[in-house]
Parts: sequence; C-alpha cells; structure tokens
Amino acid sequence: MLRADDVSFRYHADTPLVVDGVTLEVARGDLVGILGPNGSGKTTLLRLLSGTRAPTSGTVRLVAEPLHGLSRRDIARRLAVVPQEVELAFEYTALEIVLMGRHPHLGLFQVEGPGDYAIAREALAATGTAHLESREFHTLSGGEKQRVVIAAALAQAPDVLLLDEPTASLDLGYQLDIAALLSTLNRDRGVTMAISTHDLHLAASICRTLVLMRGGRVLAHGPADTVLTPAHVRALYDVEADVHVHPDTGHLTVVPVRRVRA
Amino acid sequence: MNTKASLGVAGLLVIVSFVSFVWALQTPRRIVSLVPAVTEMLFALGAGPQVVGVSSYDQDPAEVRQLPRVGALLDPDVERILSLQPDLVVTYGSQTDLKAQLTRASIAVFDYRHAGLADVTSTIRQLGAVTGRADRAETVASDIEQQLARIRARASSGARPRTLLVFGRERRALRNIYASGGRGFLHDMLEAAGGTNVFADIDRESVQATTELILARAPEVILEVRSADVLTAEEAARESASWAPLASVPAVRERRIVVLTGRGLTVPGPRVADVVQRMADALR
Amino acid sequence: MSLRRRLVTVVGSFGILTLAVVLWAPTVGSTPISLARAFDAALPWADNVDAQIFFVARLPRVLAGALIGATLAAAGVVLQALLRNPLATPFTLGVSAGAALGAMLAIAWRLDVGALGVSSVPIASFLGSLAAILIVYWLASSQRRGLSTNVLLLAGVTLNSFFSALILFVQYLADFAESFRTVRWLMGDLDVGSYGPLLAATPFIITAFAVFATLPRALNLLTMGDDVAASRGVDVVRAQQWAFVSASLATGAAVSLGGPVGFIGIVVPHLVRLMVGADHRVVLPAATLFGAAFLVLCDLLARTVMAPVEVPVGIITALIGGPFFLWLLVRQS
Repeated sequence: MLRADDVSFRYHADTPLVVDGVTLEVARGDLVGILGPNGSGKTTLLRLLSGTRAPTSGTVRLVAEPLHGLSRRDIARRLAVVPQEVELAFEYTALEIVLMGRHPHLGLFQVEGPGDYAIAREALAATGTAHLESREFHTLSGGEKQRVVIAAALAQAPDVLLLDEPTASLDLGYQLDIAALLSTLNRDRGVTMAISTHDLHLAASICRTLVLMRGGRVLAHGPADTVLTPAHVRALYDVEADVHVHPDTGHLTVVPVRRVRA
Repeated sequence: MNTKASLGVAGLLVIVSFVSFVWALQTPRRIVSLVPAVTEMLFALGAGPQVVGVSSYDQDPAEVRQLPRVGALLDPDVERILSLQPDLVVTYGSQTDLKAQLTRASIAVFDYRHAGLADVTSTIRQLGAVTGRADRAETVASDIEQQLARIRARASSGARPRTLLVFGRERRALRNIYASGGRGFLHDMLEAAGGTNVFADIDRESVQATTELILARAPEVILEVRSADVLTAEEAARESASWAPLASVPAVRERRIVVLTGRGLTVPGPRVADVVQRMADALR
Repeated sequence: MSLRRRLVTVVGSFGILTLAVVLWAPTVGSTPISLARAFDAALPWADNVDAQIFFVARLPRVLAGALIGATLAAAGVVLQALLRNPLATPFTLGVSAGAALGAMLAIAWRLDVGALGVSSVPIASFLGSLAAILIVYWLASSQRRGLSTNVLLLAGVTLNSFFSALILFVQYLADFAESFRTVRWLMGDLDVGSYGPLLAATPFIITAFAVFATLPRALNLLTMGDDVAASRGVDVVRAQQWAFVSASLATGAAVSLGGPVGFIGIVVPHLVRLMVGADHRVVLPAATLFGAAFLVLCDLLARTVMAPVEVPVGIITALIGGPFFLWLLVRQS
C-alpha cells in the first residue's frame, strides 16, 4: 500500500541525515508501528510517508505510484494524517472539524453536500463521538478531541491513516481508549494505519508490524511478536525490560526493569 | 591722601557702583530669546545688539540668522543658554523647569504669555520696562495701536463679510482643514481687519472644519493664512481652486478666496498691524 | 442547518442591515437639511446647500466609511486566520505603520504632488504601506520554506516599533502647526470631501476582495496547523502568500484613504464569530457587511455627538472597542 524505498532526508545541505536509508512497507490492512526514542527520525519519516516533505534520496510510493508524481489533492484523497496535538485558534464545532476532512474531495467553490455530511457523521459514529457533533472543540476532553481528529481523518481518506504520536498528550485512561479505537478501526473496517510513537505500550498492544528506529536508521522490521524482544528494547532505549504476552489481553506487554548504560 | 578724601572717594565709588549695578540690572546686556515674536519686539525696541541667542524657529529680522540657536518651546538647550552668559532670558510661560533653572543661576527671566491681539502691545510695554527702553516701547506700541484703530474705523464703516480664516490644510485637498475659532490671536486679527469669523460662536482657538460645517456656515470670504509656504502665482491659483467642490459657499461662487503667504503672518509681534492691514485689504 | 442556508440567511440579514445604515446615514448630521430640496433637480447646483451637504459632504463620507469598515473587518478576519491568533489586527504586521510614516512625511514636509484627484498625503501613505509590505514579506520569505508565520509576526511587530519611532521623530522635527495635523491624521478622518480618493482606492480593494473570495476554506484548514492543512491538499505556502498580500494591500488602501481607524479589524471579526460561528465561509462575508455598517455608525456618532465640533472617528471606535474587550475577557473567565 505505502512503501518507502531507501529514503533518506536532511533538512539543509549542511546538516546530518535525519532519516538514513529507510526501507519499509505498510501493507494493506496492516497496523504498523514506527517505534523509537525521541530524535530517532520517526516524525520526519512520517512526513516523508505522507508527502508533506520530499525525501533527499529514495522514493515513497502509494499503491506503486511515486508520491512526487501525484498532486497534493490526489494524495490527500487516499492518505490522511492525524497530528499529535490540535490547538485551535477559533471555536469550531466537532462536526465542522470533521467536515474539513472532506476538503480534498470538493471543487474550488463547491460546498459540502448531504453525501459529505453523511460521511462525516458516520466517521463520528465510528469513533464513538456522534453525540459531540454540535459541541465546540475546545470544550471536549483530551480523549474526545483526539477521537474527533481521528474521525476527521477517516472522513478524509478511509484507506490509509498516518498517526503521529496519537497518545503522547493524553491521560492513561484516554490512551487506552485511543489504542482500543485504533485497533477496532483497523480490524473491523480494514483501515490501514502507520503509527509513529515512542510509547512502548501502544506499540506492544495494538501494532501487528513494527519498525524499530534509532538514529534515523531501521534497527529491525517485522511482525511485532518477533521484533519486540528484550534485546531490541535494550538496543533502542538502553533499558532492560521483560516482554511477555499478557494472560488477560492476549497481547504483548513490555515492563521496564532497569536502566542500562550503553 | 587724608582720611576724609579717602572716605569721599570710597563713598563716590560705592555710589557709582551701586548706580551702575542698578542701571545694569535695568538694561540687560546679553539677552537670549526663545520666543520669535519677542525677538522681533526686542529689535523693534532697538535692543537688537543685546540679543546674543535666539530660538530654532527665529527667522526675522535678518540679523538673527547669524546668531546661535538655543532650542525652542519643547527642547530648550539649557547648557547652550548658560554658555552664552545672558542676564535676561525670554521664556514661554509653560517652561517652568527652564525658568527654575535660570532663576537658580541668578539669571533674570521674562515670562512670555501669549493670548490675544491686545497682549502684543502690552508685552511690548513690559519688555520696554525690563530693558530700560520704556520710551521707545511706548512709541512702538502706540504706533501699532493707532494703526489698528485706523483699520478698525475703516472696517466698521463698510460691510463686515463672514469669513473663514484657515491656517492649515492639506495641499490641493480639502482634508484636515484647521480654521480659527472664536478665541485667540488669529480671531482678534480677523475681527480687527473687518471680518466676522464664521466660527465666532465656537469657544476654541482652532476648529477642524469639515466640509459639512463649511457648507453650513457659508462664509462670504475664505482667507487662507500660509506663513510657511512660498507659492508661485500658479500654485496660489491652484490652491484657491481646491475649494471648487463647495460650490454653494458664497466665497467660492464669488471667487473671494485669498491665500496670504509670507513669514510673520502668524507672529504676534511688532508687525501685527501690517498683517491686519493685509487682511483688511484682502477682505475688501 | 446546511452551509448554503446559513450563508443565505446571514448574508441576507447583514446585507439588509448594512444597506439600511448606508441609506440612512447621509440623511443625518450636525446640520439639519431638507431632503426634498437636496433631491430637487430643478434647483441650480451652485445654490442648493442641502444638496451639497448631502452629496459633497455626507455621501462620500458614508461611502468611505462603508468601504474602509468593510475592508478593515475583512482584512482582520484573514490575518487572524493566517496568524492563527484571534488577537491579530490588520495593523499587526506593520502595514499601517508604513502608511502612517508616509502620511507623516507628506504632512510635515508639506509635499505637493497630486494625481487623478488624489492629493499627496494619501499617495505618500499608500507608498509607505507598500514599502512596509515588501519589507515584511522579504523578511518572512527569507526562511527557506515559503512564508513563516512566526517570522511574519516578528517582522511585523519589529517594523511597527521601528516605524513608530520614526513617526515620533518626524513629528518632533515638524513645525508646530504641521505637528498637530500629523497627530490628527493618526486619529482617523473619513471626511474625504469628494469621490476621487474613493475611486482611487477602490481598484486595490476590489482586487483584494477577489482574492479573499478564494480563501475561506483554506483559512479554515490552516487553523489546525500547516502540516495538517498540507496533508489535506492545501498549498499552504501559496495560501499564506495570497492571504498576506491581499489583506495587507487592502489595509494599505483603507488606511491611506481615512487614516488608521483602530478596533474595526478586531472587534468586528469577534462579534461576528460570536453570532455566526467560526466557519470562514460565513464569517468573511458577514464581517465585511457588518464592518461597513459598524464604521458608518461610529462615524455618524463622531460627527453628531459634539456638534458642531467633531470627535475623530478613531476615538469613537477606541471608546467602543476597549470596553468590548474588557467584556470579552470577563466573559471568558
């Protein structure tokens, strides 16, 4: 679905590579986690995958077509980005936020029609926020805000979602809510997702494929249960950890034990 | 010399010194003037040679152009003033800090307060007393008063046209127009020259005249006083033509728009009577 | 309610309000006039005082008020969206400071150039605003990627300070008479006295509004951040450039016409958002109409409340704007 072939990126000619020779694939229907510490290049990689930035070398392809050959609108119709945090300057309602996701599907002066409203409402329902449609965004809780933003992305492009640290600014309870939501969307609606995160729990609990990144390079890449090993956790974070399958939930959990000097 | 003679000489010296001292007090030798109108008055009184420093805005008479400048109302240069070693400084009434500093330095201060036309001659007389030229001052002041009386007499016999006295506006446009209100020096001059100020009822020195107000007051004469401009005949004609949009105003219809230019038009000094004469001529 | 319905309702009601205000305002003033006489074609023009007061003194003034009010309100909306800050005004980015400096120089030096029925002060003022726009744009584009809104803000604020200092310097050096007239210009003056300046300003304003018409959806999307807007198909850099240039050009033309009338560009957008919501497709036309009516009413107040003397219109808008903001603050806490 979405493929990066040996992509590298530097911000300016005289700065070091932030992303260095990364090759990865986001298969259709997969839930891929791009996991790594801060500064590992995950956010930049996400920008390259979404087409917001062009790679210095290498190619990113969306369904076999190179991104740089597609118009911004074309990309936007198939691929949506969920930002880490949203701080609005003005008081839009939740429905208005979600409707903004329909932008790439509208002509220059075209106004949203009943079809667009239906899609928007359906997206709100899918994220469990239909009842918040007329509420002003800034009155919502952190978890509700994130769900509305995800709904906006769904309204825009139901096929591929890229999420940048979706749980980073949320309280624990909301973190679990969002994790569950993403997992459901992926499983039940077949939404392909790539999540960039440093949250081990998120990666362990819902991601089916993992890409481990450190210093702009891919450390390991493959199914979560084979890639998420104590050795890899140590290589990524300089932390000794236990990795088990949790008896109740059935998914991996990572428990940090102690700091290890590299 | 014997004791008596010595005492006599000493006493004479004391008396002479005392008299000189008192005379010196009355006839200042070094005058600094921050007020252009007063500078002109000093020269008219024959005290020109005693003037050693003038304000940044002084231009007349010609002699002042060589003199050192000491600032003006907002920015008097105290150091410069003191360096000229004056024994009399003419200041504005509002320059309280400057006056205090000068008094502390034991320098006499002439406090200038500007109000109406009548204050010009009274200031001349006060100046005469302070500079020891009371007689000359009386002559100058009386001349002015007589000239004004003559102008007034001639004006009262004729018509007194309703006049708009404009002292500031944008070039070529009827924007930001400032006219004389019913109070102050310009208003007094206009009334003396034989005009009736259309804004006589407004108790302010200046009025921002909007187009509506001018149309409503319908002046018969528009008198523009432009002391800072020098206009060619063509430019003056063009400035008069700027009033054309206000077609219903009698002054525009009858083409009674006069632009007066020249330095000294708005200086409340010894030339006022001439200025009033020019205004009177323009009003006829 | 669908957007189309909302738009029709809002534009309809604001439009009627504005039309009513613009039709009514010239009939009211400090001098009582007879409308019958004013519109009596039989009377010769040169004799008809009522007609002259209506058509020469009041009508151009009301039209100027409507044009300037509409422009400043719309420019305020656009700039607040561009800078993602509801406290931004059309004057935040230094355009009006440039215009003011141009006007100060023309007044203080008694410049004497005129063209097409426009005198030197508006011309100098407009050139000053163009200079400010160019400087700010150049500074903000010196970043390697398009127009950085942070640098835009910094450049604008810096230019404001610098030009304000220059303005004070010019005022200080000016003759006493000219000095007061420069201060008066800064308070705003809608008494244009003829249609020439209006016609001169209109092409710039119309061009700016033509660009405004293409912006509302992009402005909505920019609210959530540059990256998100880009990921939704917005050409962020182009949208920012168009928004900045059109809003600044319109502001420059408006300020050159009537001076820097404050608070329109921030009070009107806020009031309108309180009434119609945040969607720029409704806010922009509503603010345009409401801004026109608002300034015409403020000017009406300015020219009647202390008759025959006038209060500068900028003082009226400030007296209304200040308490409005206090109220906003109290309401939010």
